[in-house]
Parts: sequence; C-alpha cells; structure tokens
Amino acid sequence: MFKKVLIANRGEIAVRIIRACRELGISTVAVYSEADRAALHVRYADEAYLLGPSAARDSYLRADKLIDIAKHTNAGAIHPGYGFLAEREDFALAVQDAGLDFIGPRPSAIAAMGDKAVARATVTAAGVPVVPGTEGEGNLSDDELITIAPQIGFPLLIKATAGGGGKGMREVNDPKDLPGLITAARREAESAFGDDNVYLEKLIVDARHIEFQILADGHGNVIHLGERECSLQRRHQKLLEESPSTFLDDELRTRMGELACTAARSVDYLNAGTIEFLVDKEKNFYFLEMNTRLQVEHPVTELVTGVDIVTEQIRIARGRRLHYAQEDIHSNGWAMECRINAEDPYNQFLPSTGCLTQVIPPTGPGVRVDTGVYSGFEISPYYDSLISKLIVWGETRGTAILRMRRALEEYRITGVKTNIPFHQNIMDSHRFIAGNYDTRFVEERFSMDEAEEGKEAEAHIAAIMAVLVAHRQTQEASQIVRRGERDASNWKWVGRWERMQR
Amino acid sequence: MKYFATIEDQIFEIEISSDQELIVDGVRLSVDFQSIMGRPVYSLLLNGRSHEAYVYPTESGMEVLLQGDLYQVAIEDERQRRLRNASSTQKVQSGEFQLKAPMPGLVVSIPIEEGQEIEEGQNLIVLESMKMQNELKSPCAGTVERINVAPGDSVEKNEVLVILG
Repeated sequence: MFKKVLIANRGEIAVRIIRACRELGISTVAVYSEADRAALHVRYADEAYLLGPSAARDSYLRADKLIDIAKHTNAGAIHPGYGFLAEREDFALAVQDAGLDFIGPRPSAIAAMGDKAVARATVTAAGVPVVPGTEGEGNLSDDELITIAPQIGFPLLIKATAGGGGKGMREVNDPKDLPGLITAARREAESAFGDDNVYLEKLIVDARHIEFQILADGHGNVIHLGERECSLQRRHQKLLEESPSTFLDDELRTRMGELACTAARSVDYLNAGTIEFLVDKEKNFYFLEMNTRLQVEHPVTELVTGVDIVTEQIRIARGRRLHYAQEDIHSNGWAMECRINAEDPYNQFLPSTGCLTQVIPPTGPGVRVDTGVYSGFEISPYYDSLISKLIVWGETRGTAILRMRRALEEYRITGVKTNIPFHQNIMDSHRFIAGNYDTRFVEERFSMDEAEEGKEAEAHIAAIMAVLVAHRQTQEASQIVRRGERDASNWKWVGRWERMQR
Repeated sequence: MKYFATIEDQIFEIEISSDQELIVDGVRLSVDFQSIMGRPVYSLLLNGRSHEAYVYPTESGMEVLLQGDLYQVAIEDERQRRLRNASSTQKVQSGEFQLKAPMPGLVVSIPIEEGQEIEEGQNLIVLESMKMQNELKSPCAGTVERINVAPGDSVEKNEVLVILG
C-alpha cells in the first residue's frame, strides 16, 4: 500500500490533492514547470521536481518524466488531477506497467469512455439513453459528415472525438456553414488533443446540463453522490455549478442516479467519475459522456454530502472499501461554486494575464476557496485561466445565493481582470434566482449591461470616487514636476550659491 | 477645485473643498478617501457610509467597478469644460483603428487581407491563449491598411496586429 503520492498536475487541483494526502498522513511529491517554481502546490508539497519548460507539452504532459520522478522518489502512486494526462489511458497503463498505482479508473474504462463512440455503444447496450448522433460510426470524412448531417437535423453540434471542456466544439445552425465549421473544429481539436477526429450530435434545445458524481471501489460497490447542476455555461465552459438542482425531483433524481451507476458499471468503473446528462424541457434525459476523473466542481458535492471525494479516491486506490453505502448518502442544504477566472467580462471574456498584485479571498461562515495562487503570483498564458473556485454552503438555495453575493463582494483581486463582476450580476439576475436557466442562458438571455430592476443605483458614488482619483493624479503629476526642477533642497542651493561667491 | 463627472447621461458636479469635504451637486459631504493595498482598490467613507471600489484610469477618464457594476466616468475640470464648450463645433474624425493584442498569444489564422473592406464585428484575427482560441473582432467598419503579423507568430500584449483605415 502506497505511502507517497506524486501529483501530476498544477494549480488549485494539485493543492487540493496535496491537502487530502497531508490529512491522511501520506507524503507528497509535486512536479512543476519553469513558470510554476513559486506556485502554491510546489510550496505545500513535501518534495518538488522540475519537469521542464512552461509549455504543457514540455512539462505537465511529459508522461515519461512523471513516471521517472515517481520511481526515483519512491512514490507508490500517481494522482493525475483533471486535464493534462488525467483521461489518457496510455498514461494510466504506463503508470501501472511501472509498478505504480494510478489514482483513478482502470485504463480499460478510460479507453471505453474516452472514445465517445465506444462509450455511447456501451451505455446504450446497458439501457442508458443517448443523444442522437454519428458517434458510433467511427471516424468519418468531411464529405460523409456533410451527407449524414440532414438525417440528424439542425441545429447540431460538431464535437471532437478526443474532446472535453468545449474545445474543438462548434454549433451549426445553417447547413451551408457546416464545411467551414468542421474545418475550424478539426483545427482546434488537433491543437488541443493531437487528434482531429470529430463527430456530429443533435443539439438539444433548452437543455440543462446535470451530472452525477460516482464513486466505485474494487469490491463491486458503486454509489452516486447526487447531482450537480452545471447549466450555467459560456461557450460550453462551465462557470457556475450548484447542488442540488432546482430542476430535479426525488423521483427523477433516483432514476437518473441509478442509471448513472448502471453506466459506470457497464465499463467496470473504479474510483471517482462523473456521468453527464442533458435534460430537456420535458425532463427527458440523455447520457452525454463520462468524465473518468475528478471534476473541477467536485467541492459542491462535498459540501452537501460531507463526503471528501479526494480522500475516498485515495482509499479506493489503496484497495479499501468505500466508506459509504448508497443509503448513507444524504444531501444537506445547498452548495454553489463560482469559477473565478482571469477573464474580462466587459470585453468578450478575453483572458487576462499578469501579476496578481493583491489577492484577498473571502472568509467567514460557509465559505470555501480552493486556489493555487496568491499575491505576487504571475498568471501566465501557458495554462487555463482558473484563478480559484469560490464555493459556499447555505441551508437553502436562498441563503447560499446571499452568502455568495457577500463572498463575491469581499473577494479582492488586483493585477488581472477577473469574472467576479459577471458572477455578481448572475447572483442579482431574477432568472437565476428563480432557478430558471439552461445552457444557453448566459449567451442568449443575459447581459452585463442590463441592470436588474430594483437594484440601488450607485452612480453618484462611482462619480465621486472617479473624481477623487483623478484629482489625486493631477496633484501627484504637478508635484513631480516641481520636484524635478531642482535636484536638491533650496537650503542646499543657497549654500552652494554662497560658496560660489566666496 | 471643481469637477464635472459624466456617467452616460448623468452629470455630477463635484467640488473638492478640502481633504475632508466635498460639495456634490450643492450638498456638503464629509469625506475620507484612501487607497487600500495600493491602487486600484479604494475605500471611501462618505458621511460615515463605507464604500469600496476598483478605480482604473482609462484614456478618456476612469473606470469604476463598484458592487459588481462597471461605470465609465468621463471627468473634466472647469477649465477643460469651458474649452470644450467653446470648441464643441469642431469635431475631428480620426478614422484609424489599431487592433492590439489583448494578451500574449499565438496567431492561429488571419481571415482578412490588406485592402479588404471590413464590417463592424467582423473577425480580424484568431489568437490562441490560455488554451482557448479567441476571435478578435473589429469594433468598427473600415479598410485593412496593414497586417503586421502572420499565422504562427507569437505576439506580446499590446502589440499592434492590424491597422484599419
């Protein structure tokens, strides 16, 4: 049984895993790129080793180096986190071949769920409904895709076979746009995953994105920890997650949870994973995909169930039984997570890079902040734009929203632009407060410019602060000019002048 | 010192009478104003009411981020206001626009060419940064005068990519 874990990741998730290990008394080995020498995960780990240059392909994607470092440091296991190598079966296999434990599913399950065509065929055979599309058809050429498209019907989605996180994904509303968008999707898929294969899928309109957290041990136990509502997205990137979902009732929750466990069993799943569903207006639900790893939004589930998912992952990887049976899992209260990204919500959410000159995170009752950065840290263009995750818990959804509002206003980050104002506007949105949103809400029915009715106008305060800052600038500028006129004090000048006269 | 601050169609007349006092639209208010943790976060105590905001200088004034709302504030002092009122008939039209890189990144593609007519909102450059492909769009209509970069180029923040005439 391993006593030391290498964490093959960076940022907040590496910190999250190090914390779990430390609480379990397990030693930790961090790895880092040149850009991350001073990152929090390097500072918190027991040991840390350089992987290489900043670009991910030269550092965090170097499977060979990761395994070498693990062997060299006598780490018995590797935790891949999310992203990077987390869903690469060849990596999981290489870890096992090196005699190490992989804290995650078996390579066969990653392969089965990672190839979406195989995943669809497998879960369909197990009786889980899927969204209509070309996934089972193998890798099709552009011409074949264009021929099949009308049978699926528009609007539809082009998705990367190897994809995730919205990369290589394009929406097609008009058949004549299809060829160009296939090219664009292939290009993005090639650069993100090194695989340009794409497939088509029917676009479910007014869809909700609801996912179920799964835990499975090596003794045949598979349980779910309830759902996470992840419909609040922009360009297929999740921005906010909550649990439970306002859209599910107990009956539907039980049915979806059971089918999620069935889907996991169909690939002989082990460890933590997530089954994503699309749910339409009539509450029909379709299997979307399985994420065979820890999710970014796992803390939401942790706060309502009290289950430490990362600790369970490590227990499972050590061959232990799950701490919980399905009937032990109860959801208590409401949890909500805002992803705080270095993006400018007032300028098309463009990424913002630079030095975080100051960070003051919110604290107090019911607030959790998972982050890998701190004041003085540089947000580089090499990795994703996630600065932190702000998670709150409340007894009801209403108290959770009020607490999130409070926490967002406390959060101070300077040096880069963040999407905190976006989340503040969401928390004030009547539709969001009513739980009335789907995956298109942000793009189609939400604007940063429209203030909600009834919100107190504070324009005069803004005007006063702007004037006071402008006034200060003018004064400072004029002082600098005066100081520059003479390099020494007037008394010194008098002294020098007097000496000259002697 | 008297200033005029404009937010959309609202104009506020703000006089700084001393370090501790403001006169806003004729009303006297006690004020205590401090920068917190260095710029750009500021704390304002106004007649005892506590406010906090981010204030960023921009080319045309100040941007104030207050309670999740962003305000664009144009500021003039008395002299500037008089000058502008006197010369308000002469409007200078500067048509040139420079598209600058909003962040460091890699130029993926350039779907335009020099001499091409551009519509507002048209995609000028695809820039990859932070694992995302970002389409940089034109804020105005015009003609492409010059393209300074080629696909595959790495660019720094604020580098001029395209000039529209």
